[in-house]
Amino acid sequence: MVTLPHDDIYQLVREPIDMAAQIRLVRAPEDGAIVTFDGFVRNQSHNRATLYLDYEAYESMALAKMQEIGLQIHEKYRIHRVAMVHRLGRLEIGETSVFIAVSAPHRAAAFDACRFAIDTLKRTVPIWKKEYFEDGAVWADGELPPAPAATPRAKPAS
Amino acid sequence: MGVLFFGRLKDVAGHAADSAEVADAATIEQLFALYAARYPELAKYRSSVVASRNQEFAAWDTPLRSGDEVAFLPPVSGG
Repeated sequence: MVTLPHDDIYQLVREPIDMAAQIRLVRAPEDGAIVTFDGFVRNQSHNRATLYLDYEAYESMALAKMQEIGLQIHEKYRIHRVAMVHRLGRLEIGETSVFIAVSAPHRAAAFDACRFAIDTLKRTVPIWKKEYFEDGAVWADGELPPAPAATPRAKPAS
Repeated sequence: MGVLFFGRLKDVAGHAADSAEVADAATIEQLFALYAARYPELAKYRSSVVASRNQEFAAWDTPLRSGDEVAFLPPVSGG
């Protein structure tokens, strides 16, 4: 079984994300590239002015799923270190909600891994945002994570 | 067993966490039905819910054991 490098970072935080610090932590002399993704709060949603967002998570499962994504990208791409941080609670316009940094010896793997990581996070990690507007609040439309269709029947013990 | 509701399901059920007793080998589907009977609004969301058992996504026919932690999750919107 592949295990996560102990110098990877997977965190849920309630304070602003220090992106420069995350980049420093994944940067190593044997690398030649770091690709980052900075997801931040947009000032509108479906042409309605957003006031702020409030994020919540199923925290223990969200962290486990983030680490699973880390394992997947280490298996799929020749990368070195991963930092994946998601912020929870109230976020104002322009504040970073999710930050991913991937270091690698060469850029192609870092680009591919970072793209795979954010796309998979948005589909599978149990985090939700509520959008607050002048005239009310709604839970953002999201994606239904793929779940097993039916439990495979256990084989009789032999 | 522990039962958790997130996002809009938490609003519909009126609470984030509950504890439930179910018959041995009852399924996640049956547990959801129990809550849908209590909170009829919840039934409307059945087709846009995924369930987890002990923090893994689980099929609706998954049998439950006492001590399990089950969560009902609406479409995720992190990022």
